[in-house]
Amino acid sequence: MQTAKRYSPFGARRKNPFVFHRFFEMGLEESASPFLSPKARKISQNLPLKASVFAALLLLISYLLSNSSYEPLSQVLLIAVYIIVGSPSLIDSIDDVVFKKDINIDVLMTLAAFSAYFLGAGIEGALLLVLFAISGALEDTVTLKAKNTLSSIHALAPTKAYVLDYKDYATERAVEDVEIGATVLVRAGEIVPLDGIVLAGGSFVSLAHLTGESLPVNKRVGDEVAGGGRVMEGSLTLKVLRTSADSTVSRIIKLVTQAQEAKPKLERWFDRFSRVYAVTIISLSLFFTLFFAHVMGLAYLGPSGAVMRSLSFLITASPCALILAVPIAYLSSLGVSAKKGIILKGGVIFDDLNACSMIAFDKTGTLTLGELVFDSIDTLNEDVSKEAYLTLAASLERNAVHPIAKAIYKEAEKANLPLFSVTDVKVIPGYGVEGRCLVDGKEMALFMGDVKALSERLAPEMASLLLARVQKRQALGQIVACGIFGTSAALFYFEDRPRPDVNQMLERIKKTGRSIVMLTGDHEESASQIARLVGITEYHSALLPEDKLNMISQFSASRGLAMVGDGVNDAPALARATVGICMGKVGSASAQEVADVILLNDNIELLDWLFQKAAQTRRVVRQNLAIAMSAIIFASTASLYGIVPLWLAVVLHEGGTLLVGLNALRLLRDKHD
Amino acid sequence: MKELFMKETEGTSYSHFNGKDALRHIVEVQAEGAMVSSEVHGAETPGSLFAGFDSARDAAVMVALIQLLLSIFGFPQEQTVIFLIAFSAAFISWKAGRSSWLAWARLERLHRIAAEEQKEILENRPQEREELKALYRAKGFEGRLLDEVVDVLMADSDRLLRVMLQEEMGFRLEENEHPLIQGLGAMVGAFVGACIPIMGYYYFDGVGALMGAAISLGAFAGISAYRERNQVIHAIVWNLGMGIFSYAIAYYFMQLVRPGH
Repeated sequence: MQTAKRYSPFGARRKNPFVFHRFFEMGLEESASPFLSPKARKISQNLPLKASVFAALLLLISYLLSNSSYEPLSQVLLIAVYIIVGSPSLIDSIDDVVFKKDINIDVLMTLAAFSAYFLGAGIEGALLLVLFAISGALEDTVTLKAKNTLSSIHALAPTKAYVLDYKDYATERAVEDVEIGATVLVRAGEIVPLDGIVLAGGSFVSLAHLTGESLPVNKRVGDEVAGGGRVMEGSLTLKVLRTSADSTVSRIIKLVTQAQEAKPKLERWFDRFSRVYAVTIISLSLFFTLFFAHVMGLAYLGPSGAVMRSLSFLITASPCALILAVPIAYLSSLGVSAKKGIILKGGVIFDDLNACSMIAFDKTGTLTLGELVFDSIDTLNEDVSKEAYLTLAASLERNAVHPIAKAIYKEAEKANLPLFSVTDVKVIPGYGVEGRCLVDGKEMALFMGDVKALSERLAPEMASLLLARVQKRQALGQIVACGIFGTSAALFYFEDRPRPDVNQMLERIKKTGRSIVMLTGDHEESASQIARLVGITEYHSALLPEDKLNMISQFSASRGLAMVGDGVNDAPALARATVGICMGKVGSASAQEVADVILLNDNIELLDWLFQKAAQTRRVVRQNLAIAMSAIIFASTASLYGIVPLWLAVVLHEGGTLLVGLNALRLLRDKHD
Repeated sequence: MKELFMKETEGTSYSHFNGKDALRHIVEVQAEGAMVSSEVHGAETPGSLFAGFDSARDAAVMVALIQLLLSIFGFPQEQTVIFLIAFSAAFISWKAGRSSWLAWARLERLHRIAAEEQKEILENRPQEREELKALYRAKGFEGRLLDEVVDVLMADSDRLLRVMLQEEMGFRLEENEHPLIQGLGAMVGAFVGACIPIMGYYYFDGVGALMGAAISLGAFAGISAYRERNQVIHAIVWNLGMGIFSYAIAYYFMQLVRPGH
């Protein structure tokens, strides 16, 4: 079997090549533009934020020069600030009002800032614009990350396949061009490009993306293999069963996309409030301008006076403190969470966490450690010690990469067992590993691997005894491997264990009134065993990604739901849940991309602390809004009635901003009740 | 070669080609690509350097013309210098901003074309295969080798898009400067271009301004032509000629309309 030589028009590979699909997925983002040089792309990164900071600097210089003989220069700088940060606001506001028919807080801010310039309070107006631009640029950075969400899942999807022709030559083809019935070759370490049936070869295939199960599955001639699985050793020749559009990986990508689109858009109450606020203030300003003087018949509020006072009202009622009230509280909570190793993709996730009354957990890798731990040995020949079996098994398995091999070697290392030197080691794909070693001067054949395959090497009565014991252990949710050492045989049992402190964390969450459920792709026995160990009463087992997604949709139909998971198979459910929480260390890149919260150190025991912090954040946000509103009402009323001059009203207005900032700092304490 | 291609694609009618054969389609798309990627600073190459050369020449001509008009209206030298500095500062700012904006506009067009090509690759694979075949046949590939090349390129959509943008449309990838850098180039160019005639005027009066502008105009036209590997002498003479003609129009028009004529 040969691979045809191919012509490459590109010569040597670049160190950091751009990727077109990333550019398109990010919505033609300039910082990923294939036309710009790498240096230029670097300049484009966070350009709005850089521009906002630059504008803030110009504003500071303008302010310092405003009362000097360089006042004209101050005006030039002020205009530059309005151009740099005002133009984007003006464009967005025109877009909102003219095309989206939406009057929101952004429109109010822009209107107030530009009005301020014409009223001689240009610096105050520019300050509003700069604050507004910085908060908008930070939001854009988060949005850009969200746009990147599907990149890692797309990276998982194979794009090429080696199609075998009638002479068994392998030619590279795009998966889209491979037809049903074609024969494809998948070698060790490669990803299965399309769903197919094994025609030749055999291998363990890791299907973690489908089932969440960390243990690779043995695939032999006649077995069906799902696209996206990684071939561990050997090679597989497959007959393609489904086109790329119908393959398992494409189905998962579609599920994630649909789940993200269907994610309940919890319109935050602040958004609703801000819309009402903006419309009210703009309407009141118009009302004061057009009718106030005539309706009330007050002399000092004649037509020209009414215009000036209503503009003053508009500026002082601009939501500077209001705009800060929410993000500064979120930022404080985000900061203290990050310090504890919990990363939230945006402050608004605290709102969503507060809305969750149910938490769903994945099993493997989330509630459990997600790695096989050696449990015990079951010997079929009582005359050989368990240590001797473990020594022989570890001597052979240190040459393999399978998770079982790692667990055995780790156990032998822990017990400090002296290992034998093994020769003629051969990894047989889909079977196990074999070799030879000298024990007490005699050569001994060693085999370790799949129970079914190795049982064929034993006498019939011994094989049936072995299979009966295996069934019993599997019913308890344990993983079993078989070893044959000369004429003796042994069974090795492994299990996945719950993470430490999970029980206590679940107890604390239950006390807050939230209900808990476990969803897993593993079989019933394994699921019930773990559920019992961690104290969960409601669980669902043997779930495919689609099933998990359906259950999440069903649960979250009536209430907010947080999903905690780690595997690619959890990605659709994490995307669909009100809040997706992903493990940072064991979690797959795809799951981390779609999740809203990442537990960097897999510190699941801090989940209840996170919910507590979300509740505290909501309290502070509400207090801040009350403070900001009071400051705005006082300053705007005073300026409307001419009690205080505009500059003093603005100072009072900024005092509110300072207070909300100080209040938000309280969230930086990381007290765990 | 073309006959061979026509024979192969005879009877194949793809709506994507609008009734034309693949080669004809490629020629049209290449022309569109060349138009889209051409710079808005006349026909000059994009980038900060050429934006700078262009702005320098504009600034020199503008300063010389304004100095001429002010001297005809009898402005004293000191006031004229201040006026020219103020005008130059404003003009430099305009050139920098406009150059950046034009670069951004060009980038926006390039992004749009790339997105359209990506859509074609995803939705019209058979047609894209025909285009690739035509392109590589024109490069001398034939028979089994041609099929292999096309297979390899079609196997990776990212690579295919890169080939189509570079080979079919003639775009250069990863080479464009950032629009802000181009604007910076224009700013520096305009600054230098304005400084030379202003200093000439300050030290040698009207003749100094005219000579300064001529030096600026000629030097930057020459450097620009040299960088573009065009004929340097041609560029200097033609640019100076155009500059002198503009200057003459302003001078004689004022002679014609000023009181007492």
